[in-house]
Amino acid sequence: MIPKKGMIKVSDAFERIVHWCLAISCIVLMISGLGMMFHAFNFLAIPVGGLKNLKLIHNFTGLIFIPSLLFAILVWWKEAGVLDLPDDFEWIKCAGGYLWHVENPPETGKYNVGQKAFFLAVAGFGIIMIISGLIMWFPLSLPTGLVRWMYSLHALGFFVIFPFFFVHLYLGTIGVPGSAPAVFTGYVTRSWCNKQCPKWLRKMEETGKLEVYGEEKAVSEH
Amino acid sequence: MTEKVKLYDLSKCTGCRACQLACKQWNQLPAKQTHNMGTYQNPSDLQPNTWNLIRFQEVSDGNGGVKWMFRHDACMHCTDAACVRVCPSGALSHTKYGTVAFDQAKCIGCKECISACPFEVPRYDPEKDKIAKCDMCFSRIDNGLEPACVKACPTGALRFGDKDEMLKLAYKRAKELGGDASVYGDKFVGGTHMIYVLPEKASVYDRLPENPRVPLSIIAWKDWLKPLSLLAAGGVLAGSLFHYIIHGPKDTGGDDDQASQEGGK
Amino acid sequence: MTNHWNDIANSDCILIMGSNAASNHPISFKYVTKAMDNGAKLISVDPRFTQTSSKADIYAALRSGTDIAFLGGMIKYILDNNLIQGKYVKYYTNAPFMVNPDFKMPGENDGVFSGLMDGKYDKSTWSFQTDANGVVKKDMSLKNPNCVYQLLKKHYSRYNLDVVSRITGTPKEDLLRVYKEYTKTGEVGKAGTIMYAMGWTQHTVGVQNIRIMAMIQLLLGNMGVAGGGVNALRGESNVQGSTDHCLLFHILPGYLKTPKASLPTLAAYNSKYTPKTKEPKSLNWWKNYAKYSASLIRAHYGMNATLEEGYGYLPRLDDGKTYSWLDIFDEMYKGKFTGFFSWGQNPACSGASSNKTRQAMTKLDWMVNVNIFDSETGNFWRGPGMDPTKIKTEVFSLPCAASIEKEGSITNSGRWMQWRYKAVNPPGDAMPDGEIITKLFYKIKELYEKEGGPLAEAITKMTWDYGPMGADGKIRHLDTHMIAKEINGYFLEDKIVKGKLFKKGTLVPSFVYLQDDGSTSSGNWLYCNSYTEKGNMAARRGKKDKSGIGLYSEWAWCWPINRRIIYNGASVDPISGKPWDKEHPVIMWNGSKWVGDVPDGVAAPGSGRPPFIMKPHGVGSIFGPGRADGPFPEHYEPLECPVEKNLMSPQCVNPAIKRFDVDGTDVDKRATCDPRFPFVCSTYRVSEHWQTGVMTRWCPWLAEMQPDMFVEMSVELARLKGIKNGERVIVKSIRGEVEVVAIVTNRFKPFSINGSVVHQVGIPWHFGWVTTAMRKFVHGDKKPEVFTSGDAANLLTPFIGDANTMIPESKAFMVNVERKGV
Repeated sequence: MIPKKGMIKVSDAFERIVHWCLAISCIVLMISGLGMMFHAFNFLAIPVGGLKNLKLIHNFTGLIFIPSLLFAILVWWKEAGVLDLPDDFEWIKCAGGYLWHVENPPETGKYNVGQKAFFLAVAGFGIIMIISGLIMWFPLSLPTGLVRWMYSLHALGFFVIFPFFFVHLYLGTIGVPGSAPAVFTGYVTRSWCNKQCPKWLRKMEETGKLEVYGEEKAVSEH
Repeated sequence: MTEKVKLYDLSKCTGCRACQLACKQWNQLPAKQTHNMGTYQNPSDLQPNTWNLIRFQEVSDGNGGVKWMFRHDACMHCTDAACVRVCPSGALSHTKYGTVAFDQAKCIGCKECISACPFEVPRYDPEKDKIAKCDMCFSRIDNGLEPACVKACPTGALRFGDKDEMLKLAYKRAKELGGDASVYGDKFVGGTHMIYVLPEKASVYDRLPENPRVPLSIIAWKDWLKPLSLLAAGGVLAGSLFHYIIHGPKDTGGDDDQASQEGGK
Repeated sequence: MTNHWNDIANSDCILIMGSNAASNHPISFKYVTKAMDNGAKLISVDPRFTQTSSKADIYAALRSGTDIAFLGGMIKYILDNNLIQGKYVKYYTNAPFMVNPDFKMPGENDGVFSGLMDGKYDKSTWSFQTDANGVVKKDMSLKNPNCVYQLLKKHYSRYNLDVVSRITGTPKEDLLRVYKEYTKTGEVGKAGTIMYAMGWTQHTVGVQNIRIMAMIQLLLGNMGVAGGGVNALRGESNVQGSTDHCLLFHILPGYLKTPKASLPTLAAYNSKYTPKTKEPKSLNWWKNYAKYSASLIRAHYGMNATLEEGYGYLPRLDDGKTYSWLDIFDEMYKGKFTGFFSWGQNPACSGASSNKTRQAMTKLDWMVNVNIFDSETGNFWRGPGMDPTKIKTEVFSLPCAASIEKEGSITNSGRWMQWRYKAVNPPGDAMPDGEIITKLFYKIKELYEKEGGPLAEAITKMTWDYGPMGADGKIRHLDTHMIAKEINGYFLEDKIVKGKLFKKGTLVPSFVYLQDDGSTSSGNWLYCNSYTEKGNMAARRGKKDKSGIGLYSEWAWCWPINRRIIYNGASVDPISGKPWDKEHPVIMWNGSKWVGDVPDGVAAPGSGRPPFIMKPHGVGSIFGPGRADGPFPEHYEPLECPVEKNLMSPQCVNPAIKRFDVDGTDVDKRATCDPRFPFVCSTYRVSEHWQTGVMTRWCPWLAEMQPDMFVEMSVELARLKGIKNGERVIVKSIRGEVEVVAIVTNRFKPFSINGSVVHQVGIPWHFGWVTTAMRKFVHGDKKPEVFTSGDAANLLTPFIGDANTMIPESKAFMVNVERKGV
């Protein structure tokens, strides 16, 4: 998956590392969590030698998840954390054209509202998962009534994050072809960019910040 | 199999603590260094190595005198046991006698039962990274013996037998005692398998919940959120599949760019 | 116990006083609970509100050491309200007996009985009037002012509610509640029982505490009946057995008297101790004394000596001298001993005034310490305040087997002799006590044979056939069955008794077959019948109860002759022979014989034989001239007390006690009414520990439950002294001090004694420095898994004993309590 000439850089190495740390820890957490949440999924513990190890994996993966999420928030907050009104409102009205056919879906910036929602859900519930998870891990000095609700919150977090995660996975792969390279090489095709984030593309071109593979970087700022 | 009940009549308990010790002996629970904190009660609370504890409590009798009350505190063995509901590993489970057994080998030390239990019974042992609690001497009762604590009780304050018989005895005794006496245990959490005969109102006793029930947070978690999250997870899986089949992937390609085809793979 | 544990369940009213049975005899509460299930009332009288009190229908607090005042008030209440069981009192007690008109009582004689001379009573006026035939004069109408009943009335008329309440600190209404409830058992067919323990015995008036209750039981007709009696809850599982077999200095096995130096011959001895009566119908069982003493001598010496020679070998007491624990340690302190065997005991903690006891041991050349665990006694030379380099005593420690590591019998409080089997071998070098004694015996015998010595025959002629004999004439190992058989006794020659021939070597069926001519042996006549040709009766495990009142006569064996309730001859009407209590008959006449329990002393109904056959006149002693300190119990203050004077009389303390603080050494200090030691203190036990704790402090599970020496005190006292619950404080008496944890509790309340506030505190006595973390451990010392803290309660207790038994007064003395570092 080597980028080709003319492809456009949409993510730098740091962003990609953060993404993968978050993604992998999240997947491990979900699988190991699932193994403990439902007796029917207890079998997930077999490859790691039992539930106790699964719990350890879950807990310590959580420790990777924490900085990953914090960096993710730092990295994407500006682009994905703030709604761009009124354009984003228009997008919502037609669901970005993802669910039914829309002739001309509203143009979006780097991230569309769906992606922003995903980001916000992961950021918000991720923090809830971290806090509730840590309390569940070290519950003993806190009031029982409080600790009890942490379990519900943790389950609620899963209830919210998993669907978003899966949709993200789907749309990041077969649902929106051409997306995946963004998190591997950092380069996507110009046409992908035109469809997914035309406003951003235009802005980058206008400011001369666009990096295109195989071309000299715009130099004006240097 | 008939359900078994350990009946504890507080009015007959002399606080001799034979039960507390017999439990340690049968279950081979080591002693730990303690200190007298100004009471006979020791250890001061249930511990991983103390599965039943006599709580000593002094209250005024309302006439300038004092009442000295003793309460054998141990797992209540609920029918609707919050601990069993939350236990991820199956370490806590119901036996054929209705009691709540505990298989330490299966315990993963997640401590969920500790916060779930309305009676605050399970205790976490950091050395083993496991919890511990009374299992009503399953090894004994399954061999036709009474639990060790019952065996050791000199006064008959602790008794063990079939649920119906024990409940009958309990109600008879409560009636004999009269006043504020009541039977505690059969009317909540689906009925406990340790039943108290309380000579005083339940509210008088230290650390004894008046209306114990499976906490709402546990119900919210186990009864609502668990199925909901399965539903949601299943929903998005199915939804994505249908989306792909019906709506199809988004066309992000362009005539001008071949790379898009490969990138999409 | 005159009755037995199971029998408590038959009671209608249980008084627990001088005991905290729920804590210290937990199993007894099985039967207390049963009785209560059947409607019995439970009364708890104790200075503090105990676990027993928590189960009681009535609780009354009293200041430690005032039990006689409390119960004297009950006697007055009984007599004032005519609540006695009339027929019982008339026929079965000495209430109608006429007393010597010269007899004077404390109320008219400055607080003492007639005859007091230099701290000892001349008892010549404590006698009965007799007619020309020597028969005691009686007034069956109980009206003669010189009859026991009227004297009793006069004596206790001084114990009115007001005075009693001012002495005891018990509110009058509480006194009345107790009196009213307990005396209901005076009704025919009702039974009241008393459960007491060291709370009554460990006083300078210990024996009289029990005496006064025995008198109440007689007045209410509670002796000999099911659910009645006077029931001592023994402090050890086998204290009854060891007392029966002569634990104490003044008795030989079976409560025979230890010979005195002034009794040179067996005849003189027998004559001195065989009671005589002219009462025509009295059985006077002790008339058989000579049979029992002869059989005892035979058990010791067999045919190796004549009876007379054997008598000569028995140890002698010097007349007028006592050899109690206190005397022994007093002498030891004065350097009168070179060696000491401390066998199965821990004197460094268990003896009164432990500092004195511990110092006493430094005066020894050697000490042998036989125990199952390490103790303060074995290590006294490196205890607190000791300098090992300056102590000459050489200590030998012999590990011995615990009860489950050997076979034998114990006799419980209810006089049940129960056989126990060996479960495991003793660990390491530990040996059963009997094996150790056997080794010692052979060594000592060898030395006597080689070197001779005064009365060498006392040892060299002793029989020692307690096992299979080896070629060297020594037993190869100890067989406890052989000891049990010797205790029962054998026929030593072919003998016809009661028309029946007994071959030489057969076991004697019961003590009625024992002979005074040397043809029988019996190591303890009371136990004759325990191991017969029918087998080891103590090992029986029959679970049938034919009696219906829980006698379980086929379970183990009970002295005497398997009689479960002694004095049961008094459980029936003297005329008709019908049981007083139809629901719980102990014995019943079936037309030709008594059925039920083994009958005690009674002949056929209407025979007129008085049933208390161990008394010369056959009746229960309301007037008891046998005691050293008076025929009627009288209230005296403890040696150390919080009051300036005895409200009852000018005599403050028991006049007949041996005063070490007056005649003794400088360590026997006394602080009475001393502002430095203003609080009454009592010692007691907790469920979790036993005795000085040598056996329990090493057990981690027990130490975990009661790890620290503590003092219990009222909230009011704590406030006064600025003490917080759980804080470490110092309790001190004039003799010593101990650091403890304060338990501040509403279970203690200040007393109002004669208008002033008197505080009482209490301490357990189980602790000692050996199991503490602070002590120095050297290589080879075992470390406890769970440490305890605090040293012995007896560091504080006074060196004083009861007038009759010399049991130390550890239940009432004066202390101070201070915050640590103040």
